[in-house]
Amino acid sequence: MEKKTLGFIVRSLPYKTEASRLALTHSIASQSVDIYLEDGQTVEPIVCFIGDGVLNCLKNQEAMKHYGDTSIGMHMENALLVDLKVYICKEDVERFGLTEADLIMDAEKLGGDMKAEIVPYASIQKLMNEADHLQFF
Amino acid sequence: MAKLTVGSFASLVGSLSLDFAVKLCQAAVKKGHNVDLWLSGNATMLSKKGQKSFRDYSALQKTIEELLATGRFQMTACEACAEARGYHKEDTLEGVKRHSMDWYLASCFRADRVLLIGGD
Amino acid sequence: MKLGVFFSDFKGGGDVMTRLSADKLGIILVGNGVYHATVKENGKGSPLLEKNAAFYVLTEDLETRGFTVDKVDSRVKAVTYDDIVDLIFNDYEKIIWL
Repeated sequence: MEKKTLGFIVRSLPYKTEASRLALTHSIASQSVDIYLEDGQTVEPIVCFIGDGVLNCLKNQEAMKHYGDTSIGMHMENALLVDLKVYICKEDVERFGLTEADLIMDAEKLGGDMKAEIVPYASIQKLMNEADHLQFF
Repeated sequence: MAKLTVGSFASLVGSLSLDFAVKLCQAAVKKGHNVDLWLSGNATMLSKKGQKSFRDYSALQKTIEELLATGRFQMTACEACAEARGYHKEDTLEGVKRHSMDWYLASCFRADRVLLIGGD
Repeated sequence: MKLGVFFSDFKGGGDVMTRLSADKLGIILVGNGVYHATVKENGKGSPLLEKNAAFYVLTEDLETRGFTVDKVDSRVKAVTYDDIVDLIFNDYEKIIWL
């Protein structure tokens, strides 16, 4: 299996720009990338939220109710539903006075098993070191 | 020669970030490299034909046409991003492709280097 | 990793840069990032230039904003688009835009 790991690093706040939404929609597109690749080739996205970007992970986003838009939270749940690896920076979560209870950590209500992980920045740096390509949103 | 994949979601007019992306593609192609330029979000505006050249606005259509003619450059717009903005297949510049986001990931797979240029 | 960072902002992105580390780090100042190479705010150069990295500034973006190469901080090397292509393929394995 020839695999390329793509790091999608989200550092932007949600909604003012399309950045974090595009990070999630592009990473989820890995589910159908095989149609453009040869047999035995695959792409593995990892999604990391750092800095202000961790605020994309807050629960109870009501963008659909107020603007008719799929919320970033819904995209995050979709990413977890298709078993993408999602990491949230611990230091930044703490900096904003948040806890795991405030954040979207799984897609259980959609029937998903994958859970997001809150990890130290050093772990995210290690993931970035290991990725084949990095993209900051 | 190597392959560069550039992704961008910067607007055509405003920040010059999309100008940077195109100039970088141009420099890479000139040096003999192969380049894919993926346009998503507001950057899909660059895929629309009929762009008029005014000095107060970025005018990249001619450069794109020249790059496409080299055969070492391909430009692809995110189909959903374009449709959401009212740019349909018939509005697309000749030689420019439209695909879903998975095409971009496959291009990243094959690239030696990937640069994602953000925007507003 | 050998990481090339295209830094396009004057006031933003510092939080990411502070923590970002690489075995070999290059910071290429483009867009409004060129002010880091030229402006001394309250008489002081940009803290970004204290980072352990090789610094470059895109001449085209510098001149677009009213500066000339002779005004660039001595720690920063002026480059062209052609030079950037070589940096991308010869000096850095991964490249990002901030």
